[in-house]
Amino acid sequence: MKIISKKEFLAFIDALIEDVSIDVEGVKAKGEKFVFGPLESSDELRLDHDVTILPPKKYFLPQYETMMTFDLSKPFSVERVENPKERVIIGVHPYDIIAIKQMDTYFLDTHVDDSYLQRRKNTLIIGSNILNVAEKAFFGDMGTGFVDSGYDLMLTDMGDKIAIDIGTEAGEKLLNKYVHSLQEATPNDVQKVRTIIENASAKAKRGLLVKPEGWRDLLEKNYNSDVWKSQAEKCLGCGTCTLVCPTCFCYDINDEIDLNLTTGKRIRTWDGCLLRDFTKVGSGEIFRESMEDRYRHRYNRKGRYLPDMLGFVACVGCGRCSSQCIPDIADPVNLINKIAETSQSIKKSEITPLTTEDKLVSATVEESLHLPRPATLKRVEKLTELETFFEIELDDGCPLGHQPGQFVEISVMGFGEAPISISSAPNGNTFELVVRRVGDVTSKLHTMKPGDKVGIRGPFGKGFDVKALKGRDLLFIGGGLGIVPMRSLINYVLNNRQDFGEVTILYGCKRPCEMLFKDEVAEWETRKDIQFMKSVDKCPEGESWDGEIGVITCLIPKAKFDPKSTIAIVVGPPIMYRFVIRDLLNLGMPEENIIVSLERRMKCGVGKCGHCQINGIYVCKDGPVFNYKDVKDLPEAFT
Amino acid sequence: MKPKVAFFDFAGCEGCQLQIANLEEDVLKLIDIVEIVSFREIMKEHSDEYDIAVIEGSIMRPMDEERLKKIRKNAKILVALGACACIGSVQRMLNQWPIEESKKIVYNNFKETKNNPYFDNFSTKAVDEVVKVDAYVPGCPIDRNEFARVLVALVQGKKPPIPDYPLCVECKKKENVCLFELGKFCMGPITRAGCDAICPTHGNECEGCRGFISHPEERAYTEVLEKYGLSVEEILQRKTMFTYRYVEKTKKEAKKDE
Repeated sequence: MKIISKKEFLAFIDALIEDVSIDVEGVKAKGEKFVFGPLESSDELRLDHDVTILPPKKYFLPQYETMMTFDLSKPFSVERVENPKERVIIGVHPYDIIAIKQMDTYFLDTHVDDSYLQRRKNTLIIGSNILNVAEKAFFGDMGTGFVDSGYDLMLTDMGDKIAIDIGTEAGEKLLNKYVHSLQEATPNDVQKVRTIIENASAKAKRGLLVKPEGWRDLLEKNYNSDVWKSQAEKCLGCGTCTLVCPTCFCYDINDEIDLNLTTGKRIRTWDGCLLRDFTKVGSGEIFRESMEDRYRHRYNRKGRYLPDMLGFVACVGCGRCSSQCIPDIADPVNLINKIAETSQSIKKSEITPLTTEDKLVSATVEESLHLPRPATLKRVEKLTELETFFEIELDDGCPLGHQPGQFVEISVMGFGEAPISISSAPNGNTFELVVRRVGDVTSKLHTMKPGDKVGIRGPFGKGFDVKALKGRDLLFIGGGLGIVPMRSLINYVLNNRQDFGEVTILYGCKRPCEMLFKDEVAEWETRKDIQFMKSVDKCPEGESWDGEIGVITCLIPKAKFDPKSTIAIVVGPPIMYRFVIRDLLNLGMPEENIIVSLERRMKCGVGKCGHCQINGIYVCKDGPVFNYKDVKDLPEAFT
Repeated sequence: MKPKVAFFDFAGCEGCQLQIANLEEDVLKLIDIVEIVSFREIMKEHSDEYDIAVIEGSIMRPMDEERLKKIRKNAKILVALGACACIGSVQRMLNQWPIEESKKIVYNNFKETKNNPYFDNFSTKAVDEVVKVDAYVPGCPIDRNEFARVLVALVQGKKPPIPDYPLCVECKKKENVCLFELGKFCMGPITRAGCDAICPTHGNECEGCRGFISHPEERAYTEVLEKYGLSVEEILQRKTMFTYRYVEKTKKEAKKDE
């Protein structure tokens, strides 16, 4: 530990500010509150702040971030926006440093977020130990009032002098560049710093009844507690708790086009799971519509889902949500205590500690996470009033390399991006999509012609485990648009017919005119090596129909298959699953023989934006294809 | 061919049209993508041939209704511009009393007003209470950049990008100190975002000029106001200024329940 006089420290900050190659951001006053902002002089810097209104996450995941720009006057011109400028952030409290470590884990895990990584690598963190404790802070309870890593330099303001703990080589270099009068700390100084840290943590205790290691078990046991409803009744659904939270990372992405109608940008912005439209999909369905479900989700994500997924409780005890929630229902201490008071004994869970430093160093970017690849529409065919078929080829000439059941994110620049299931079996250089016209992107797609350019990301998600299906009897049950992802597997199976046992296909839709792939369906009907049946809910006057009439479950008793040994692949609208699965189980089909594909709002496709979460799983990453056995106990899966 | 746009004003201050005129050099960019065929604040010419009709102001008289219906017939797309057109705005306060009573007080039975269609007022209506509205640009006044975004979206064939989440979202992103913490009252938690929280950013309470979001948590919000010390009458007063439309709706629903 080093010591520097206050005067020399302020000169150091002023020297940093003078250096135009670095952005110097630090804690400043805003009225009676504090914020991180650009420093114009060392006089502005406050190291006595209790907490800032927004956490420093805004530097790594900005409120509004231009991710790429596009130019529609060229066939396909999309450019990633670089953020190369170096930055120093001064005054980051230990709990916020822990939150940044969690962010590192989240954004650098498996799919590396390149925008995040660039900002993170260009930033030096100068922390400061906590002198004043915010009223609602509880980092003392959470054990997050002290850190020994995650910073480049760590300051402790001791009045006339500042203690500096060097965390990294980069921090040391910065210090040595500007400061020439560093002294070694005396044992007395070290003791003083320790006392400051201990005092803050002792003050920031608010009587949290269950330590973070117990949250997982507490939340799991009390998923159906009455507390959720009584708290949610007071909730405004304003999203404040998520926006001000240092460990809420969910985001949305939108295209903005300039007045010239040719140039524009794709913007990432903060989103929050308390907002009503957070789970809204293109067709208008909202998967977490009740406030109670949304409110419960936030705490479960923090205390249960993220610990399971990444090994940390996503709460650092800063108290921002508690102090900024006007109905005063967001306070985690109150919430956890309320539940704990009505709960039985709680088990501690093993939480694997973070190993983020390595990730920050080792993370490399192979390809930009959100940047689409150019592709060309090869064939466009209108299938029904609402659905159009597209055959697409990537401009680099490479095959998409997908598995049946996976999906892509398709971009029409200026309109946005939408997740669409791949409907073709892996075969050749092109792939096929069937798109229902529901929103801006899909409506625009419907007006496009062969030769037009689109952007493609993916393939994403887990598809059907084709290997595990080999040699088995298969029963396909497809409802409505569900036939689209299913077709990628059906065609694969029919192309490799000898590798599979009995094959049965049941296909249902609302009315005859909604039937997709009519030519292929006609072929399936005549094939001798499969069993095919179809149904419509009703056949209005003027349409003709030679199949069954009734909902799709009416076909199940008519089909011949051995429920004990057959694997059922079920894909359809949310309402269909409950009834089809019930009938299959009643026939004696084992749960693990049922495979489903689920739909949610897969905005990013790579497990980051948070929209497609079903309890603890991400549909985009862990699915969309699931074994029924693995999701049947998730309360949000089949609502 | 560029879509033709015409502006029409009904009961209002014409301030929203002025906002558009104030786009200044961006107006020049706008006329690259649309042809303005009628806009009395900036041009003399007028044409009844248009694709997009932009309606400013609320609807107050049978003659207004007739005129609006004609415009609707002529237009492919109809846009409600500003709080008056979208929700009825301040002139909707009038709807607290029977219209005959108001007329008596305002016109004092002055003989020229009798049987004169210009003074034949009914209770204030928003544009969508008379004709179908395809796009809304809320606010008093409108945010001119938002108007430009909506127009661009309409030309592109996109859904107009009007948010359906509360103002708090934008206010938090701007890192404002919450006005409730400063002892003030704010309609942000139930008001539609999109103005970039301009009033709270400058220390002024949001008065709800952009109207409510589609699913406002009104009950929870009322509890908050009561907690912070407002009486039931004061709460109603705040909702009366710009957003009496929602008060009327609540009253109607309450009547139905009885």
